[in-house]
Amino acid sequence: MQGVAVPVSMVAGNSFIHRLNPIAKLVWVLAVLVISFATRNPLFLIALSIVGLGLVTMAGIWRQFSRVMLILLPVATSLIVFQSVAPAFPQPWTPIATIGPFTIYQEGIYSGLSLLARATSMTIFALVMIMTTHPSDLFTSLSRLHVPYVLNFMLAMTLQLIPVLQREIGVVMSAQKSRGMKSTGFGAVIPSFVPVFAGAIERVQQLSISLESRAFGSSGHKTSYRQVAVRPVDWVVGIAGFAFLAVCIAVFLNTGALDMSRTLIFPPALAIVLVAAAAVLFVGFIASAIWVVIRA
Amino acid sequence: MPSERAPIIEFDRVSFQYAASDAYALQDISLTIDEGEYVAILGLNGAGKTTLELCINGIIPNMVMGDLEGEVRVAGVDATDTPVREMAKTVGIVFDNPEFQMSQMTVAEEVALGLENLGVPYEEMRGRIADALAMVDLVGFDERMPLALSGGQQQRLAIAAVLAMRPRILVMDEPTSNLDPIGKQEVFEIAARLNRDNGMTVVMAEHEVEVMARYADRVIVLDGGRIVANGTPREVFAQRELLERIGLRPPQATELALWLRDGGAGWTDLLPVTADDAVTALETRLAGVAR
Ligand SMILES: Nc1ncnc2c1ncn2[C@@H]1O[C@H](COP(=O)(O)OP(=O)(O)OP(=O)(O)O)[C@@H](O)[C@H]1O
Ligand SMILES: [Mg+2]
Repeated sequence: MQGVAVPVSMVAGNSFIHRLNPIAKLVWVLAVLVISFATRNPLFLIALSIVGLGLVTMAGIWRQFSRVMLILLPVATSLIVFQSVAPAFPQPWTPIATIGPFTIYQEGIYSGLSLLARATSMTIFALVMIMTTHPSDLFTSLSRLHVPYVLNFMLAMTLQLIPVLQREIGVVMSAQKSRGMKSTGFGAVIPSFVPVFAGAIERVQQLSISLESRAFGSSGHKTSYRQVAVRPVDWVVGIAGFAFLAVCIAVFLNTGALDMSRTLIFPPALAIVLVAAAAVLFVGFIASAIWVVIRA
Repeated sequence: MPSERAPIIEFDRVSFQYAASDAYALQDISLTIDEGEYVAILGLNGAGKTTLELCINGIIPNMVMGDLEGEVRVAGVDATDTPVREMAKTVGIVFDNPEFQMSQMTVAEEVALGLENLGVPYEEMRGRIADALAMVDLVGFDERMPLALSGGQQQRLAIAAVLAMRPRILVMDEPTSNLDPIGKQEVFEIAARLNRDNGMTVVMAEHEVEVMARYADRVIVLDGGRIVANGTPREVFAQRELLERIGLRPPQATELALWLRDGGAGWTDLLPVTADDAVTALETRLAGVAR
């Protein structure tokens, strides 16, 4: 049975970020989420991402972090390729360069870069939080904020089911292999979904019986085993997150969300290099994905 | 152990039919179990053991749909009309597939879950978790991942998770069916100890006739949803024709004695149900012969 590790899960550690209250972290993740959607200024978003990378360094999670980013980034770079030739932007577009049948537009580069930077900044902050927070601590903190227990628990259960399903897929696939079925690649994973999900439903039913038999969902006062401290520094960080969000929104409102689509001029050479690099990354990724599937 | 035993589980003419089925899974069950008793429920696959046990904490009919007739009273309340999460204070239940019962990240949190739901204060919770893990021999496993334990360890964890809630009744449904012989032995020992030392009422559905003969105060045999025998292991296992008819094997010690008796060896003593009984009885007889 293959031991597929969950790629996105907590990395043990004792950094400042690890010890920070989950809610303080959540405030920052949500703030960055809102900010990233509120502006399209690529320079601002790139700056935000760089701050995020600073946090990755602080938390000491580069190895696990870059493993996830290596999968996500090539997909994200496709944004630059497609946007540069067909910007999601109102006309008129300003052509910068022409490669064969394609014309690269100023607005396309801007839009592609900003979408990429937006996705990157959100992902970095979210990953920092996920990789430094014990899920139970997050759920404990949320329930202290009166997030409904059941909702909270459903979140926790979903996270729980991931490794279980992965393991079950492994079991089913080796069972199928032993009956002479194909055992690697996508072609093998798909048929194993049916028994796995049938199994998952039974599992969820059994689990809900077992949980209710342990008084889950009872109405009275509940206590919690994991004790999550709320120190002054957690308050400071959390409030700073809100303040940062407020300042950014105020700035955006007064500056047209820092719009630079007409002022940030990309020289043709830079534009071509950018698009070419993105295209190479993206095509390389697609090719390697196809290769993995074919080889399997 | 209380000398004055009071009924804690009472079934009065209980019949049950699963929603998806047109046959009765339980038919006209009437039985009384006293506090502190250790009762084994025996029967072949499909006899109704699980169904009967699910009625004890109200999973039937509150979580599993179907038609229930009759009355189930447990610790003074009507179990058919009380939410399972309320019954949880009195009845702890452990199933045969331990990994389906795990939901938490660590062993300690798994045990804590029920206590959190009951609102047990943090300090007391820690003590209860430690006690429960000690009772099932899982000391030092607090921070391990439940899903990364062995089947036997998982089953003991499932028991601890229920024990920590201090129920008066422990219901177990073939708790050892997925375990190796050592794992089985450990679980049976735990149940016996809880019954003996803590006076906990134990209701155990099992296929392990030998083991039940040794531990249970009383054996209830189900067949086709009906109670066909109900008595001490000795009384029940002596009913050879009945057991043969429904396809249940008595313990080997009993079989041996019955074979000796029918073979003309003139066995007149009580029938043994455990190996120890048999040895004692045979020794006495042999000593008699030698003399
Ligand atoms: N969820 C269900 N829906 C419909 N019928 C069911 C359901 N569960 C059990 N039954 C039926 O009810 C009867 C009693 O089943 P039960 O599970 O109580 O038997 P059991 O003695 O526990 O058997 P086993 O030794 O296999 O666990 C069987 O005929 C079974 O097919
Ligand atoms: Mg059963």
